[in-house]
Amino acid sequence: MTGLNRRTLLSAAAAAPVVLRHARGETPIKIGMPLALTGPSGEIGQQMRHGAEFWLKEVNAAGGLLGRQVALQIEDTTGDPATCVRKAQEVVERDGCKLLFGMVLSSEALAVVPKLAEWNAIFMSSDNGDGRLTGSSFVPNFFRANISGPMETRVISLWLREGQMKKFFALGMDYAWGHNSIGVFKDEVTKAGKTFLGDVYSPIGTKDFSTYITKIRQSGADGCFLVLQGDDNAAFLSQAHEYRLSDRVQLITSIVDLNSIHAVGDAAIGLAGSTRYVATIDNPANKAFVADWQKQFNALPDVFEGEQYQACKMLQAGIEAAKSIDAEKLRPALEVATIDSIKGKIAMRACDHQAVQGGYIVKVKKQDGAKYPVPEIIATFPGDKVTPACRQMTFES
Amino acid sequence: MDVSAFLVTQSLNALSQAALLFFLGCGLTLIFGIMRIVNFAHGAFFMLGAYVGWSAVGLTGSFWAALLFAPILVGGFGAAFEMGLLRRLYGRDGHAFLMVTFGLTLIMGEAIRLIWGVNALQVEIPKLLSGIVFILDEPFPIYRLFLAGAGIVVAIGIWQFLERTRLGLLIRATSQNAEMVHALGTDVRLVRSAVFGIGCGLAGIGGVLAAPMVTASLGMAPNAVIDTFVIVIIGGMGSFLGSMIGAVLVAFVQVFGSYFFPDFAMSFMYLIMATILVFRPGGLLGKEA
Repeated sequence: MTGLNRRTLLSAAAAAPVVLRHARGETPIKIGMPLALTGPSGEIGQQMRHGAEFWLKEVNAAGGLLGRQVALQIEDTTGDPATCVRKAQEVVERDGCKLLFGMVLSSEALAVVPKLAEWNAIFMSSDNGDGRLTGSSFVPNFFRANISGPMETRVISLWLREGQMKKFFALGMDYAWGHNSIGVFKDEVTKAGKTFLGDVYSPIGTKDFSTYITKIRQSGADGCFLVLQGDDNAAFLSQAHEYRLSDRVQLITSIVDLNSIHAVGDAAIGLAGSTRYVATIDNPANKAFVADWQKQFNALPDVFEGEQYQACKMLQAGIEAAKSIDAEKLRPALEVATIDSIKGKIAMRACDHQAVQGGYIVKVKKQDGAKYPVPEIIATFPGDKVTPACRQMTFES
Repeated sequence: MDVSAFLVTQSLNALSQAALLFFLGCGLTLIFGIMRIVNFAHGAFFMLGAYVGWSAVGLTGSFWAALLFAPILVGGFGAAFEMGLLRRLYGRDGHAFLMVTFGLTLIMGEAIRLIWGVNALQVEIPKLLSGIVFILDEPFPIYRLFLAGAGIVVAIGIWQFLERTRLGLLIRATSQNAEMVHALGTDVRLVRSAVFGIGCGLAGIGGVLAAPMVTASLGMAPNAVIDTFVIVIIGGMGSFLGSMIGAVLVAFVQVFGSYFFPDFAMSFMYLIMATILVFRPGGLLGKEA
């Protein structure tokens, strides 16, 4: 009998630390983050990872969430929706994550959101642009902390209405994104009472843009809207600079980010467009964030690093208010969450889970002493003008 | 813009594009002519040239130093690859070379990603060439004039090298009858290494020269390799003059095609290639069908 007793004692002793750890709440809160780290969207994924890890360090140093440390479970999806669904399923079922970040592409997010209810997991998006996620494809466990694609276009059109430019031309990459974006732009320009002169599309992987540059010049436009990305964008900007195109035409793009500015250097000077986040936003929260970021990385935070940090803070506010990470308790708390974000006051909206926030127009300028040109804010538009009506993707006026 | 200004500036532009394509095409055709190897990694050597050029500009501050240094390094790497790997495969059939050079493309692409990162890198145009000139009142970048000039200079240089120098003579002889050259006491293996190195070095020059216009980026290799194959197939595999004609033809078709028929810009190049292959299966100046 002593043997049995000893065994009971031993197993009780072995179990004690586990029980104690649970009692003190020391198992970490795990957040799954399936995102494209390699492939064409890898750069955005890397930025999102950076932003989330920065927040993780900050929150853990301050004692974690609900007294528990926070951990990220990061997986590479390569930007493929099918892989993304599989990886998301893995982090939920294998690693027990009930909270999700990540999913670089909207196509990935659209593939994942129908599963959220079954997994009983909350997904806080930091970069998905597709309007449908808070519209026709809305699900209760999806939240969008970032500015959406339709909101971005809206910011540009509000800016154009106020501005001096009258005639516009457009150049886009020859696939769905280029054609869609230019279609929306054309619509907005016409609604604003300005002239849309025409558009041209370059095949993906175009190396020589000189004929397109000639066409833009010949059109006689005041402004040219660009829907280009990656290598094509870098090649176009380099060659537009070579031809001194921006001396005659204002180049406008839907997203101005540090990455493409760093890729082309001075060739980016003069480029104007909307941006989701820029380090020069003037408020105390952003100043503190930028200062900390610079201390750690000796660089300015880029667009998706800032957007991811904002999404993390939004989720943090929800968890702290709900005092739980259970989807049923967290959802109502997130629906009324308001934070003093790096982009000012941001409020989550209960009706479609879109965070209401303002938009920025920046222009790339040369700054003395800086290695690269920097985007400067030239116009700001408030959240109530930029955010569409609930579950809508278009705007009335 | 009047018609003559348009035609002159776009033709000059096409010539500058032809120069870049020629650096790629003549290296590939040289290698094929001597070694009967289709070097699938040619685009990767072009890309390596652009990245090495970027680093060399960063280190020395001079574009001209980069233009000298990058081809030597890229060519040296090509020669080393030939000596280390390709040389062991000469007894095998052509598939082995395709597999190995394709494998090299993948390895180089990943290595460049690891060394230089995923972002495109800008090489500044040297001050001397960064301006624009007005040709019939149309602005035209000086750098593109320089490219066209560089293409012509290098073409003449290679032609003279093949015709007038002893190594050029050996290269031509080896392409005609390697066994005879070997029997006459020349180490054919060295000739092959040299040719592979020179071919890759030319791709390297192309990479450095292209970098200020398109930036050094990871997408360069697959784009370049397709254009290069089209040029060499049009001109005739192994024909030096053919690669020149092919480059000019493709460049003009791309420039004017993308202006007048932007929706079909890509297809014209392949249409020309298909037409030529129907009438001359070996290419314009090719010997074999």
